[in-house]
Amino acid sequence: MSLVELHDVVKRFGANTVLDRVSLTVQPGEIIAIIGRSGSGKSTMLRCINGLESIQGGRIVFDGETVNDPATNLRKLRQRVGIVFQSYNLFPHLSVERNITLAPRVVKGIERDAARDLAARALARVGLADKIDAYPDQLSGGQQQRVAIARSLAMQPQLMLFDEITSALDPELTGEVLKVLEQVAKEGMTMMLVTHEIGFARRVATRLIFMHSGRIWEEGLAGDVLAKPRTPELATFLDAVLH
Amino acid sequence: MIREFSLVDIYYLLLAARWTLALTGLAFLGGSLVGLLIAVLRVSPVAPLRALGAGYISIVQGIPLLAWLFVLFFGLPILAGVRVSPWIAAMVAFSIYAGAFLGDIWRGCLQAIPRQQWEAGASLGLSFADQLRYIIVPQAVRVAIPPTVGFLVQLIKNTSLAAVIGFVELTREGQLTNSTTYRPFTVYIVVAAIYFALCFPLTQWSRSLERTFRVSR
Repeated sequence: MSLVELHDVVKRFGANTVLDRVSLTVQPGEIIAIIGRSGSGKSTMLRCINGLESIQGGRIVFDGETVNDPATNLRKLRQRVGIVFQSYNLFPHLSVERNITLAPRVVKGIERDAARDLAARALARVGLADKIDAYPDQLSGGQQQRVAIARSLAMQPQLMLFDEITSALDPELTGEVLKVLEQVAKEGMTMMLVTHEIGFARRVATRLIFMHSGRIWEEGLAGDVLAKPRTPELATFLDAVLH
Repeated sequence: MIREFSLVDIYYLLLAARWTLALTGLAFLGGSLVGLLIAVLRVSPVAPLRALGAGYISIVQGIPLLAWLFVLFFGLPILAGVRVSPWIAAMVAFSIYAGAFLGDIWRGCLQAIPRQQWEAGASLGLSFADQLRYIIVPQAVRVAIPPTVGFLVQLIKNTSLAAVIGFVELTREGQLTNSTTYRPFTVYIVVAAIYFALCFPLTQWSRSLERTFRVSR
């Protein structure tokens, strides 16, 4: 059974149509890279999948549950769909440990000691075991983003959404975050990532999607799509990004 | 009978200032409970609840505090047949009033926290109440302390209005002292000095808090 299904999804902000009948199916274990110009709807698509944005048409199904059904318990669903944002969005008043353990403790009712263990293990996965007692403002951007990934992983989601998570980082910090992403991918996590890192997409993604003016313009194996663009839009985009 | 204004009168004025402080304290407590509710209504994801909070604030802020005091103290016995003591009337009126202003101040502080903090909480499966409690309020408190102390100073001075319904606090005691000594200038200078002595340290504290929070942010 597929994990995520989008059926003719339409998203409008006022008169502006951001997603124009987007359909997509994601199987468990797939790593989908989404590329495209800013404003092409790629971030919005991710935000619709965990219900952060409402949709005006179509249907989104996650693991058999309709996300846009008002009867769906979004809180329960979001525990199984992690999202990492471009701007990290760590909680500045909480230590790294509390950032990671807040939701497991409050939402899942995990005991304090077990939660600290959970945080320690999640931090080990992103290579930050020694930062468990630090505060977000004591960390570099790359480290903050890795904590944000650990925070999401600690909820043991079935799907992880990554929304341009390296766009705010220097090139050297981008590398450390991508390394973590690659590790998470190797562990078999289903991932959808909006990215500008074309090389990374080619290396890691099982499928690549190019979005243009609110539609899925091209999709296929990353190597194929990147090597032989079928549309002038993708060719132009790749030209602009790669040179 | 006219008598001289003496140290004894100053002593009585100081005693009356206790009731000014007591009324301020109770009004602040009641106002905080109302204000917290109103602030939360104002940032709620449910539109009718936001409107309810906004409605409360505009109605209360659109009616003078003096009118609230009169309505509660003189109006309730006529309308509902309940006699209320000046204490109860003053406490309720000031809580209603402080609730609207604190609610509006705290709404601003909650809204000062970036939207992404709410989103990060929601994405982890936290409920609206848990997002508020664990993520938004702890950050908003830092922002809220200076304007809240500032409002407290306003509240101290405004309790003088309770004198009109016979609540004996500092201002009322001043009126009573004046009616027996006929030394309005001296009496009210002392009254004013006591208000100043209560408010000035708070104002200074509020300023220094503002500096502290500006530096550490």
